[in-house]
Amino acid sequence: MSAITAPSPGPTKSGMSTAKKVGLGLFGFWLAGLIFFIAVFGFKSHKAPAVASGVFTPTNEFKLDTWFAVGPIDFNKGVLYVLLAAVLTIGILGYTVRRLRRRPGRLQVAVESFYNLTDSLAGDNLPGEDMARKYFPLIATLFVFILVTNLIGYIPLPVNSIDKFTIFGAHLPSFQIYAADTNVAFPLMLALMVFALFSWERLKHNHYNPLAFFKSLMPSGVSGPIVPLIFVIEILSYFLRLISLTVRLWANLLAGHMLIAFMGGELGVLVGDQWVQWLLLPLGIAIYAFEAVLIAALQAFIFSILTAIYLGDAVTSH
Amino acid sequence: MPVASHIPIAASGSFLITPNVGLMIWVLVVFLIVAYILKRTVFPAIGKILDERAASINSEIDSAAQLRAEADSVLEEYRQRLTEARKQAEEIIDRAHKAGEAHHRQVVEETNAERERKLEQIRAEISAETERALGQIRAEVAKLTVAATEKVTRKTLTDDDHRRLIDDALSELDFSALSGGKR
Repeated sequence: MSAITAPSPGPTKSGMSTAKKVGLGLFGFWLAGLIFFIAVFGFKSHKAPAVASGVFTPTNEFKLDTWFAVGPIDFNKGVLYVLLAAVLTIGILGYTVRRLRRRPGRLQVAVESFYNLTDSLAGDNLPGEDMARKYFPLIATLFVFILVTNLIGYIPLPVNSIDKFTIFGAHLPSFQIYAADTNVAFPLMLALMVFALFSWERLKHNHYNPLAFFKSLMPSGVSGPIVPLIFVIEILSYFLRLISLTVRLWANLLAGHMLIAFMGGELGVLVGDQWVQWLLLPLGIAIYAFEAVLIAALQAFIFSILTAIYLGDAVTSH
Repeated sequence: MPVASHIPIAASGSFLITPNVGLMIWVLVVFLIVAYILKRTVFPAIGKILDERAASINSEIDSAAQLRAEADSVLEEYRQRLTEARKQAEEIIDRAHKAGEAHHRQVVEETNAERERKLEQIRAEISAETERALGQIRAEVAKLTVAATEKVTRKTLTDDDHRRLIDDALSELDFSALSGGKR
């Protein structure tokens, strides 16, 4: 046996891949930073006066501070983000459309795949060519508008006018990552619009007969004394669509932004320990990447596909 | 690090779940404007370019299929022609073979006939020569016989004697050896 047993090549320093080296280096940097912060500031907490007095709270950054008002119209950062999303949506799509070519570039391929995705969303869930063509613009706009709103929500902008910082005597708004759909007004409005539309389609499908409208909510094959119970449940679930559409988008974005903020240092500020900030920073970066890459697009997709499904359900159920 | 502003803010987070009506109106208006603009300008343009591309791809597929069919038919035709040409070539070779053989046979026959003719001629010449030689020999023998007889008999022979003597002499001689024994 000894003749064929070669000395096993153990892991050597020279055999390490570049990614592993970088990873180890970053880990070492993180560990050294942790020791540094503990050494300099210690374990003991030193809460900032604003935190101790309760002036600073983590939710403040989501508060809509009215910047100025034109008559009854308030202008705040939520409005800014909605307008920013609109300008970017129209700008990017308009720019692409003006340079459409038979042989597409990268941007055109991306825009075309967005178009194809939403087109198939409408085509697969809405019965008939007419319904699909009628509601495709709504579904596509919902997708792209929510997507852009979510994505600009991961770019730090100086919009936190409540928690200001001072440079050379000038009080400037803090940088923050804000998204319009962290305010419940944004998803609620879109959900209300969608709810109104699919309810209207259902009413039209039932020849404007309210009784038939409610009957169409009942699943087929239900009879006997269970009918009232099922009816109540179905009515509830119908109106819960409005709530679930709203809360899914809003809670995902709000929770994501809060998590990024907490892990990115806010928790350390609240407990008053600098080393906690440094400790959680890698987690904050990971959550940021996860939210920006996956959740932003996923929530936009879910909102638009549910819109298509609800609209399709409105005109197919009896 | 964010520093607390001078505005005191209530710690309560109730504003988080209270929809801001002003923002709701903004969202609705802006969304509808965006939807309208996209519906009027962006979506038709993208749809058009996609349809155009689909149409051009379809027509390219069609024309490719057509080209393929044409190529197939041309190939089939060439194959047929090649088969025909091969058949013709074989026929030509076959015919040439046959012609060659016929020619060969003819040449052989002609050669044979020529040889036969030549042989015949040579035989005739030989027999004529033999006849002539025999005649000469006969005349010589007759002359010698006469002379010998005159010398023996010391008299001049008459014509009748001559004739008798010659005939006697000749009848006793056998010339068969001179003609090669063939006669």
